[in-house]
Amino acid sequence: MKKKNLFAAGVNLFLILCALFTLAPLLLALLNSFKTNGEILTNVLSLPKALTGENYVRSFGKMHYLQSLGNTVFLAVGGVGLIILFSALAGWKLCRTKTKLSSFLLSLFVFSMLIPFSSIMIPLYKVVLALKIKNSLLGLCFVYAGLGVSMAIFLYHGFVKGIPKELEEAAAIDGCTPLQTFFRIVFPMLKPVTATICITNVLWIWNDFLLPLIILSDNKKYTLLLSTNTLFGQYSSDWSAILSALVIAALPVIVFYALLQKQILKGITDGAMKG
Amino acid sequence: MKQRSAQIAAKSKTRKQNFSLLLFTLPALIVYAVFKLYPAVFGIYYAMTDWNGINKTGSFVGLSNFVRAFQDAYFWQSILFTFKYVAVMVVVANVIALMLAVAIETRKHARGVFRTVFYLPNMISMVIGGYMWMFIFTKVLYYLADNYNGFSFLDHMWIGDPNYSFIAIIIVAAWGTVGYLMIIYMAALQGVPVSMKEAAELDGANAWQRFWQVEFPMIRHAVTICVFWTLNGAFQVFDVIYTLTGGGPGRATQSAALNIYEEAFRGNIQYGYATAKSTLLLIIVLVITAIQLTVMRRREEEL
Repeated sequence: MKKKNLFAAGVNLFLILCALFTLAPLLLALLNSFKTNGEILTNVLSLPKALTGENYVRSFGKMHYLQSLGNTVFLAVGGVGLIILFSALAGWKLCRTKTKLSSFLLSLFVFSMLIPFSSIMIPLYKVVLALKIKNSLLGLCFVYAGLGVSMAIFLYHGFVKGIPKELEEAAAIDGCTPLQTFFRIVFPMLKPVTATICITNVLWIWNDFLLPLIILSDNKKYTLLLSTNTLFGQYSSDWSAILSALVIAALPVIVFYALLQKQILKGITDGAMKG
Repeated sequence: MKQRSAQIAAKSKTRKQNFSLLLFTLPALIVYAVFKLYPAVFGIYYAMTDWNGINKTGSFVGLSNFVRAFQDAYFWQSILFTFKYVAVMVVVANVIALMLAVAIETRKHARGVFRTVFYLPNMISMVIGGYMWMFIFTKVLYYLADNYNGFSFLDHMWIGDPNYSFIAIIIVAAWGTVGYLMIIYMAALQGVPVSMKEAAELDGANAWQRFWQVEFPMIRHAVTICVFWTLNGAFQVFDVIYTLTGGGPGRATQSAALNIYEEAFRGNIQYGYATAKSTLLLIIVLVITAIQLTVMRRREEEL
């Protein structure tokens, strides 16, 4: 019994140390984001002398916070909206049609899932230039849709297999057009997998750095990450500005996580297991 | 006669089905073809041109870009660095994630709290996480080393010295990925029937034996998924290195993706040449993931 207790205590210690290690960067950033540069220089572990939001006011303006946040929200909502609409339509029909063409199209969509982004990045840049959507947020939403549909179609296709098609057939007999059947009957039934796809893709687009970095060049179009990156480049030793910027840049995802934790963790597991 | 008309009817039914299929897949097909398929396929053509920032289309130069890439010492250095990074990351991230998952599963209470905490870094972009760690590596560790005797081992140039900057990169990257792997391992561990664990316990197996002989064989599939996922992600590593070291000092920590990015979008904008390099990277990644999947699937089946 004693040995068992010792073992449990060891496990606890391990978990607590790992938790501290995990939270350390966030807590240290938060703690020091309220200090002046002088205070940071003398002691990184001390509590701030005064709890003022001065640093935050400064970085809020410097990184054009609201605009960057708005741009990021626009990309996430637009990109994910397109991915869901396009892939649900395609995934459903691909599953319900049993012809040679449907199996060909499915493998066409799925085969490229392994291609790493960095190896299509430059030709993709050329396409973006040719279509004159460089620097366009709406254009970038469509690029995200192009990159994201494979995985989403794969997941929708797998999910549709498991739902009975009698309802759809009944709707068709009642005179619903295929599009009406889709929006009224099928799409509501796809809700669980739609939630998974929505969560994984929002997180992907929200945290994506490289694609916006090469496509968006006007700082009015910058995402939160691009603005943070620029701020870091301009004020590389001004830690009180940088840390407060990092805190407000991380804030939206942390709030998102706090509100939807259960769904997010479930979505991640489902997405990973089936992918 | 009857048979023939039935055949014709079947054919026209297929045609009708295919037509409606095309209508429904068209939006997805268009964006996919334009932004993924075309770049993937025509990348190989662009890799054989001298397309750069000045001449917009570039003329055909055959395989000379590939020959140049083979002779490019910096490119090979970045490939080697990527291999080293991938190997260390796959082991470190998976071992830690599995340890955390097992440790949490042994607990009766507060599982949720630990799970929430360990997953948190995955929510935050590596750009933000990277800069937060930059603060730790350039300010906090020096402070600890200067003021507390026990921490003097931390007194290194974490970003400036190539040996330590590699460790720094691994720490930050592992910090950012472990939680995701842990979630998958936890889901797999929960799938192991309790009766099996109890039976092993009754047979007198200790915790170590129980893990390796009962649980581990049952979660092999999750190991395959996680190794695949880390491998695939690690080969493309960009954000964390871009923010922490920028590939430096010199080019000591430059990954393949960073090397390609720099060739194309920094300095002497050589798109054609950079595409040749990215095609080589693609081949390497595909070959290695194919090997990994076949080997690990076979191992799974052996059990």
